[in-house]
Amino acid sequence: MTAPGGTSGTDLDAPTAGRPRRRPDLRVSARGVRTVALLELRQRLRATRWFVVLAVWVAVLVGVSLLVRAAAAATGDLDELGSLLFSAVAFLVLGMGLLVVPALTATSVNGDRADGVLAPLQVTLLSPLDVVLGKLVTAWLSALVLLAAAAPVLLWAVLAGGESLLRGLVVLVVLVVVLAAVCALGLGWSALVARPVASAVLTYVTVAALTVMAPVLFGLTTVLAEEQAQVQVRQPVSYSESGEPQGCEEQTYDQPVYRTDRTWWLLAASPVVVLADATPRPADTTTEAGVERVDPLAAIRTGVRTARRGPELEQDYCAAATAEELLADQQEADAAGAVWPWGLGGLVLLGAGAAALAARRLQVPYGELPRGTRVA
Amino acid sequence: MTSGDEDERAARENGAGRAAAVTGRTHGSGLVVRGVRRSFRGVVAVEEADLEVPAGSVTALVGPNGAGKTTLLLVLAGLLAPDRGTVLLDGVDLAADPVAARARTGWMPDALGSWESLTGRELLRAMADAHGVPRAQARRRVDELLALVHLEDLADARAQVLSRGQKQRLGLARALVHSPAVLLLDEPASGLDPRSRVELRDTLRRLAGEGVAVLVSSHVLSELDELADRAVLVAGGRTVDVVEDVGAGGRGADDGTARPTRPWRLRALDADLLRRALADRGLPVREGPGGLDVVLGGELAAARLLAELVADGVPVVAFAPATGLLEQAYLELDERSRR
Repeated sequence: MTAPGGTSGTDLDAPTAGRPRRRPDLRVSARGVRTVALLELRQRLRATRWFVVLAVWVAVLVGVSLLVRAAAAATGDLDELGSLLFSAVAFLVLGMGLLVVPALTATSVNGDRADGVLAPLQVTLLSPLDVVLGKLVTAWLSALVLLAAAAPVLLWAVLAGGESLLRGLVVLVVLVVVLAAVCALGLGWSALVARPVASAVLTYVTVAALTVMAPVLFGLTTVLAEEQAQVQVRQPVSYSESGEPQGCEEQTYDQPVYRTDRTWWLLAASPVVVLADATPRPADTTTEAGVERVDPLAAIRTGVRTARRGPELEQDYCAAATAEELLADQQEADAAGAVWPWGLGGLVLLGAGAAALAARRLQVPYGELPRGTRVA
Repeated sequence: MTSGDEDERAARENGAGRAAAVTGRTHGSGLVVRGVRRSFRGVVAVEEADLEVPAGSVTALVGPNGAGKTTLLLVLAGLLAPDRGTVLLDGVDLAADPVAARARTGWMPDALGSWESLTGRELLRAMADAHGVPRAQARRRVDELLALVHLEDLADARAQVLSRGQKQRLGLARALVHSPAVLLLDEPASGLDPRSRVELRDTLRRLAGEGVAVLVSSHVLSELDELADRAVLVAGGRTVDVVEDVGAGGRGADDGTARPTRPWRLRALDADLLRRALADRGLPVREGPGGLDVVLGGELAAARLLAELVADGVPVVAFAPATGLLEQAYLELDERSRR
């Protein structure tokens, strides 16, 4: 870029008032998207040792899954092994996806600009949307390859645990959508921020904020959501020597309750919660011993849906914790309505917004340039 | 898609001698820039730019570093919006129809980036796609361009193995892929070896001969001298002067038409003898670095003088154009701006 010319300072007073507003270029064409995607694919596939990446990816998945299986077999009930293993693999794929996928796009736009390969595309007939969607499609395809490599491990977990194929399929579909949103997020930051390092950090911070910090915030804000309420409690009058409840009395207490029905959406924002809530419960939700089956996915689902319902103003401690009771709790929670459409919808909207922002930032000719941005 | 394609097709159908055509373009209306200004956050980079590049000519954009050349070219390429002023590219108003204007414009940036993992052929094919060149034409066009920039042998090598000069040539091919009517080149010769410079010059002359309006920016005057027909001088963000008919390699160089007067530098083993011989002929002599400068009417006059001097027994050892017109104008400009 050229340094300022030798002109007087009087121009500072009338900077850019004359620059006319332009209609945004909203064209998009299949050929344009394809052109950009092919260019990106060729460049990135050849530039990275993707085979190594894929091998490491699969090795880690298989290794950790085997460890989970060994640990579960050594300590737990073999009856519960299946759901535990399946949940572990599902979370593992999600977690590793959230670690790897942001890297696919987080320096896409500003990195290209730094390499001097963005402007040559912008002066062609390609529209900003062509460029953004082409990049997005490429990154998303790469994420799909990672998921495809993870699919056999997931299938193994499904089969080894006697889980239904539907659960595995839902996990994959949710991951496909979540990772697409993450790709778009990285693209948005890379278009917004001039320096690749900064956009990479911001992308990871955003993903971490959604995945971990939002649930933590949910935990912290329960204090703020505390309220005094009249709660009807049924409790045993006394217990027998063997611990059986005897008699039952009902009392009303003025006690604090947590209005999680106001803050549940903080949980919904997390991809972990979205994945858990969207995944159907295991076919058999109780073990042979009649206690609740350890299934982290289903547990999160129950938890988040219960949170969404808010505090119970009637509590019953008289009834024994039977399997039927557990089932009733789960059904009650499920009846409160799915949380994942909100979470997934939010993620998709966020991704779409980020992509739209990126397309906006790629509109040429540039008017005012953001600080630190070069044209070419 | 663009009128360029139609032109090309029409040119092909016309047949004869078109195989060698780089663009096959008929003469358009070139580039017209009026009152363009561009600032960055209140800092003015281009204050007032007015220039014309007629179709079929090579015009140099000359000025010191920081004069606003690159910014102006970015405006013309459709990447930067001007604060005010109008740009007509092959008759299309850049502000009114930026897409159509881009379709008519080829741009080669000074900071030439490359997709390191792509081969030259793949890159040019992708660029042809990006410009909407029909597939059937694209293949032939890419082969033509690879031949034009002498990269046929390296067409299937990845860009990362290309030298700077080779990348530079690929960059030129990239700018030409859609047969633009206006070609904008920002410091195209930097990093080129002498032979590539000559080839670049020949290529640009040929493009101009086919009706393309070529605008070349540079601060290396010696290379523009050989290349450009006209020069637009830029200083402090303003286009300050136009020098017509600049270079020895200009259009009129070998067609015998009258050349403008320009200084030639002579050196002889016996400087006094030379000085006397020149004085005898009534030629005003100026003492230059490493020789005597004499202003002559053209190459014909120069050849005649040399023959006479040799016949007179003056031991001439050097006889060559001294600084070009462009360098003179540039130095004058520089002097004026420093005063």
